[in-house]
Amino acid sequence: MSADVRILAAEPGCHLFGDNGCGFQAPTIKMFFPEPWFDGIPGSAGIDLYLVLLLVAVGAVLLLWSWFSKKLSLVPGRRQSVGEMLILFIRDNITRPTMGAKGDSFIPFLTAVFTLILAMNFTGLIPGMIPVNSNLAFTAMFALTIYVMTIVIGVRNQGGWGYFSNQLFPPGMPKIFYIIVTPIELLSVFLIRPATHALRLFATMFAGSLLLAVFAYGGWYMLNLTAEPMLAAVSVLFSGAALIGYVLFFLFEILIMLIQAFVFTLLASLYISQSLEAAH
Amino acid sequence: MLHELAAEPNILRIDWVKFTFGVIALAVVYFFVARKAVPKVMKVLDERHDAIEGGIERAKNAESEAEEIRQQYREKLEEAHREYAQEIEKAKEQRAAIIAEARDEAQVEAKRIIDAAKAQIEADRQQAVAQLRAEIGTLSTELASRIVGETLSDGAAQTRVVDRFLEELEQDESAKQAEVR
Repeated sequence: MSADVRILAAEPGCHLFGDNGCGFQAPTIKMFFPEPWFDGIPGSAGIDLYLVLLLVAVGAVLLLWSWFSKKLSLVPGRRQSVGEMLILFIRDNITRPTMGAKGDSFIPFLTAVFTLILAMNFTGLIPGMIPVNSNLAFTAMFALTIYVMTIVIGVRNQGGWGYFSNQLFPPGMPKIFYIIVTPIELLSVFLIRPATHALRLFATMFAGSLLLAVFAYGGWYMLNLTAEPMLAAVSVLFSGAALIGYVLFFLFEILIMLIQAFVFTLLASLYISQSLEAAH
Repeated sequence: MLHELAAEPNILRIDWVKFTFGVIALAVVYFFVARKAVPKVMKVLDERHDAIEGGIERAKNAESEAEEIRQQYREKLEEAHREYAQEIEKAKEQRAAIIAEARDEAQVEAKRIIDAAKAQIEADRQQAVAQLRAEIGTLSTELASRIVGETLSDGAAQTRVVDRFLEELEQDESAKQAEVR
């Protein structure tokens, strides 16, 4: 691939069976690096589409929750019921299974995290846009927040030495095993766990939107109505197949966005629960 | 080719500007959603839970109250039945007593009447006997004097004769009665 090809791909006339002989240009990770409108900031890509989409996601979350929480009554309407269902969903599927009843104080925080992550995923469903969480900076921010929270809560609940010794020297095993277990726990709890927490969400959003882009680009590339009639018909068939694939993966992607937001919140709740009291 | 790859941006690089904006976004959402909106909705949820619990509690109270009242009613009914039975029993006893008393009284009265009648009869008889005796005396004296004449006009002698005569008559009478028996 050379720069010339990319320039040709950007031209609108590059299609299957086209006469200018250019090949299919698959979407690259360049799509996750939109052109910044302002890049005078050192060490940063600057102000770009991600921050606009972040603003949209935050605005959507704030609007949604101000809508859910206005004019509340003991006998709820449909609108209020949906908001309550969301909170009860977080309670019954995330905090209660991991932390029990004493995790109820984390319901508001985890509800906020869940809805914000979901909104930041859903920006990828806007045609031509990308999920905010397809940039590692945002998922790392979430993961680091949870990481700091677990340490603070752990130290507060089990004491400084108590928390770290419970994590690094799991009770109830022969002392000799600590030679192996302690380095593993140190790595897994304090390094790998926050990293995977951030990467899991990032990678699925990244890969999902890349896959959707492939179907969109491919469908557009294969559609060539200016070719000979026979070839034009074939191109319509091809791009129709791509469209079906796009729609199916679009629906699948919605599911993945929901699941990933849920998984991230569930893991956050699980990590917090291990800080509330020593495991085993 | 090589310089293309080098120019390829690193997807694992964490952009500090995006990170910072992410922190701000999370802080804003935390403040408005986790501190304001969700607790408001949860408060209503709790209130409803309490209301339902309270409703169940109230219903339970009402039920136990009704049960208590029913128990009281049942007890009162039983008591009334018992009292009624007692009253009837008492009334029966009273009736029997009244009847017995009346009977006694009637017997006493009857006895009194009979006694009085007997006494009256006796008195009458005595009187009749006395009168009869006097009259018989007079009659027989008169008769005797008519028969004997004026000889026995002396009063004392007359009485003595009559009495003797009557005694003999009575003795005759009782002797006859004894014979009949």
